[in-house]
Amino acid sequence: MVKSAVIGAVFNLSHPAHIVHWHFVKLPLANAIVIALMLVAFAVAIALPFPGAARRARARRQAGES
Amino acid sequence: MSGSPNSSWTIKVREKAVEALPPEKLLPDGQPTYVASWIYMFGVASIAALVVIIGSGSILALKGPAWWHYTGVGHFFNSIHLWAVELFFFVMVVHLWGKYWMSAWRGGRARVWMTGAVTFLVAVPTALTGYVSQQNFDAQWISTQAKDGLNSVGVGAFFNVTNFGQMYSYHVLLLPIAVVVLVSAHVLLVRRHGVVPPIELGARLDAAPAGDAPAATARAAGASS
Repeated sequence: MVKSAVIGAVFNLSHPAHIVHWHFVKLPLANAIVIALMLVAFAVAIALPFPGAARRARARRQAGES
Repeated sequence: MSGSPNSSWTIKVREKAVEALPPEKLLPDGQPTYVASWIYMFGVASIAALVVIIGSGSILALKGPAWWHYTGVGHFFNSIHLWAVELFFFVMVVHLWGKYWMSAWRGGRARVWMTGAVTFLVAVPTALTGYVSQQNFDAQWISTQAKDGLNSVGVGAFFNVTNFGQMYSYHVLLLPIAVVVLVSAHVLLVRRHGVVPPIELGARLDAAPAGDAPAATARAAGASS
């Protein structure tokens, strides 16, 4: 009971939602943050090299040359 | 009692199934090199989240509302269920963006794309009926707001979001079955057609002559555009 009260205090939810209002776009701040995080995840997934991908591609190239 | 071998429907179904999905395509032991990218991981992440959703949801259904509202373990599984849904939609949207920008419907993969898109559309009401199945004031508030919204667009006569029994049945049975069937079809179609290759590789394979051995190998691995 005490633990849940402490965790609940990190974000005070006892207020109306914060709204992002930009021209015709109107959405809760929490949703805007999630959308921003999805865009970040998308960009990072494209930019970040996959572990072992370069090594596998190099091995395949060498196998093709020999 | 059985008919001639050629007329048996079981043989016809088996032959069709093996022809469409031979074992080496159904359970491959390798993937093309281009699959080694984080952007290709979001599909399987969606499936992983779906497994957690179904597992935690089954436990919630088994134990009931008093358990998920009034016990610590119930709160824990309630939260697992909620956050698995959040994660499911998060990774599914990134998966959808990735496939959209890859033109993932290339190379005869229109049905792969369509089953994925319909899964997304069916998953939305599957999640939303969960909000109105909570059995608390939050569910009452959401259902009355949803009722007004749905009536305003003229679909309120087909179902009643303030009817808990109906919404709970939709949430724990009808819509999850639809999602699982669609996801299964989606995965089997991916297995059949192979993971979509990058656009430039697909174009190179299209331009390769019919007798080109490396291109033929790549096509066999599912790398056709």
